[in-house]
Amino acid sequence: MSETSLDELGPVDYVVVEFPAGTSNFTGEMAKELLALVDAGTIRVVDILILTKNDDGSVDAMELSDIEELGELQALEAQLAELLAEDDVVHLAAAMDPGSTAGVLIYENVWAAPFAAAARRSGGQLIANGRIPIQAIIASIEADEARETEGD
Amino acid sequence: MPLRPARVGRVGVIGHPVAKTAVVAKAVTPGPAPVAKTAVVAAAVTPGRGIGRRRI
Repeated sequence: MSETSLDELGPVDYVVVEFPAGTSNFTGEMAKELLALVDAGTIRVVDILILTKNDDGSVDAMELSDIEELGELQALEAQLAELLAEDDVVHLAAAMDPGSTAGVLIYENVWAAPFAAAARRSGGQLIANGRIPIQAIIASIEADEARETEGD
Repeated sequence: MPLRPARVGRVGVIGHPVAKTAVVAKAVTPGPAPVAKTAVVAAAVTPGRGIGRRRI
């Protein structure tokens, strides 16, 4: 990758979506929404793995290509970068409960690339980032409400 | 794990075992769904709502 293209690379994130045993209900909706994000240029999918954690704690990993009926995801599969290594499978599966299946998605935030590049050109450097869970916002609001109630 | 050979023997990018965060664990605990509070959360992230609330 050239220096120029590296500078234009957006931040890369991962998500692990767990499906506890017996709860999965795949209708194609997730694939459709994922492809919509790709088509809109919001993200670029870097890698995908499907993990299954057995009751004894052992982990099986499936490539997207191992799925028989990929449907619309077929086009995506051909573009994966296979970024994740065997070690990563073990590390990611640590968050899973035994008996569950999880989809691991690695993606580049294409939408953020121009802003990140502009920040770097302006002399800025990223020193922290993160995600605020909705549950944390709810907890903050509830704490405020409780404090206000006590003050009445 | 039937991983592709290209994934085996390489240095990983995650770096450490991932833990299921407490806040997520709480969210998946049986009980009222967080989405029931969508309107409240939406208000919290709406510009202007935070005026007078921030304390540092």
